[in-house]
Amino acid sequence: MSLPPSRRAAAVLLGVAALAPLIVRDSFVLDSLILILMWGALSAAWNVAGGYAGQVSLGHAAFFGIGAYSAALMTARFQQSPWLGLVLGVVLSLAAGGAIGYLSNRLRGPYFALSTIAFSQVLLIGASRWRGFTAGSEGIPVPFRPGVWTLGLGHVAWVYVALVLAVLCYAVEIWLEGSRIGYQLAGIREDEDAAEALGIASRRLKVFAVTLSAALTSVGGTLWAQYVGFVDPFYVFSIDLSIRFALNTIIGGLGTALGPFLGSILITSLETYLRATFSGFKTGFAGIYLVIYGTALILVVRFAPEGLIGLAGRFGAWRARADA
Amino acid sequence: MDPARRLGRAQIDVLAQLGVSTVLLGGIYALIAVGLTLIFGIMRVVNFAHGEFLMLGMYVAFWAYSLWTLDPYFVLFVSIPLFFGIGYLTYVLVMRGVIHASHNVQIFTTVGLSTALQNVALVLWTGDFRTVRPWHSSVVIRVFGTAFNLSQVVAFAIALGLTLVLFAFMKWTHTGRVMRATAQDHDAATLMGVDTDKVYRLTFAIGIACVGAAGALVSPLYAVYPTAGLQFVLLAYVVVVLGGLGDMVGAMLGSLIVAAVEVVGSYFFGVAWKEVCYFILFIAVLVFRPAGLFGQRGAETLGV
Repeated sequence: MSLPPSRRAAAVLLGVAALAPLIVRDSFVLDSLILILMWGALSAAWNVAGGYAGQVSLGHAAFFGIGAYSAALMTARFQQSPWLGLVLGVVLSLAAGGAIGYLSNRLRGPYFALSTIAFSQVLLIGASRWRGFTAGSEGIPVPFRPGVWTLGLGHVAWVYVALVLAVLCYAVEIWLEGSRIGYQLAGIREDEDAAEALGIASRRLKVFAVTLSAALTSVGGTLWAQYVGFVDPFYVFSIDLSIRFALNTIIGGLGTALGPFLGSILITSLETYLRATFSGFKTGFAGIYLVIYGTALILVVRFAPEGLIGLAGRFGAWRARADA
Repeated sequence: MDPARRLGRAQIDVLAQLGVSTVLLGGIYALIAVGLTLIFGIMRVVNFAHGEFLMLGMYVAFWAYSLWTLDPYFVLFVSIPLFFGIGYLTYVLVMRGVIHASHNVQIFTTVGLSTALQNVALVLWTGDFRTVRPWHSSVVIRVFGTAFNLSQVVAFAIALGLTLVLFAFMKWTHTGRVMRATAQDHDAATLMGVDTDKVYRLTFAIGIACVGAAGALVSPLYAVYPTAGLQFVLLAYVVVVLGGLGDMVGAMLGSLIVAAVEVVGSYFFGVAWKEVCYFILFIAVLVFRPAGLFGQRGAETLGV
């Protein structure tokens, strides 16, 4: 086969995810699979801005929350289909992503990250204090009505919904890797001044990348909220969530198509395992997985900045040398 | 004019109260922000874990008070050297390796540190809100129609004192001069024989000592819990960006502005919405004057 090894690995992983519900019926396993796919897809969406365009955002929870709230309010307050909420969330996120992308256009490095944090905090405060409309800090329970139109699905169906999302985000990444826009964004990421000197419209392209990433994140937020069945403003807009998208991507491999999914497999299973193990202990002990997260992040950016993909590449090169 | 809105006795009292609250709050914010801006100015690193060191400072004060009923202001004498040491160790163990790396690597190193510290606190001390209530936090002082409590005044005085000591240190000592030289031009300083690694160690240690001290100072005023640092550090970012990242005098002025926005905002829109006021201010400054109100234009596009 002529496909590069990372594409083959992606095909195998997605294939396994597609076949798993046919073999396994255990809801714990299926739940883990759904979460791995969703967090993988969301991290891939973050990667579109953070990895491919170098616009490292620490406020992507804003778009996730917009998606989650649009669908939850649409179903709980207006008795409409969550699919309408999904569309509304995408429209709002396109607008918000465009606005934040445009406004923080000149900002680089830590300034951009700071402005995205501020943006998500404004939305957090708005959602948690506007009691009349969003139910404030109590959050919104999403009503369960069976059916595809109302997204009241069983575990098996949810695996396929999450899989479609994952394939969509992966496809966008693959498209970026081979397209003119993708190369231009890579140019901007590596050296913005040089890219501009070559006539690349860096500002417009950066806004484009942030907006695209925001729309995908919003779709993920909608589906996550409908799957989990509850929207808590302090979770969906939290900085921790924004960090999570970045963390998966960096551990897997920043700016690689498969990286976010590898990171999600590792981090999500670690989280599920540690939660299940420590849930009997005193409360708060479950936080131990976040200590591991943080430490892993420090170690990865220090010693393996290319993530798991980079390590796999190094291992491949070493083996090739050993064979020769 | 509506008689209720005319500038009468009551309105003057309100203004005086708002003014006093602003200054008291601003002094404490300044001590938090000054450490952040010092680290940024000299090391070119935004310390996303700054708030977590504040939180640890508050826990130190809390435990000292609940185990040995030590007053937070006495704990300060232990806190400052303790956090100096913690900052020094953190630099050597975590920051030294990424000091010359890209911005993204530095951002994620400090973000990782922040996540880890927050959750170490959660695992060790649970998520409960804990408060320190020494005698002075319930003493109310009334002067000319304004009221404030004694802890606030003492915290302000000590914060101001520490900030001034830091200023004097930076301005008049040889080490301070070396630190400023490194901030201005790292390469030139190296060529002049400055051991920049030593400067960075000292900078990080001083920055963390400031925020550790601030933690002890605010402990009688605010509850402590594992994510307590977040609200303060977000505030400190606003302050530091307002004043121009790396500018210490700017940070002082920025603290006063943010405190004023917070005090006036909570008076007019209610406490619930005060954060929105300063975040909108923050975004506006980032958009229109990203180098800060007093900073040099264009610094932000260099990504320094």
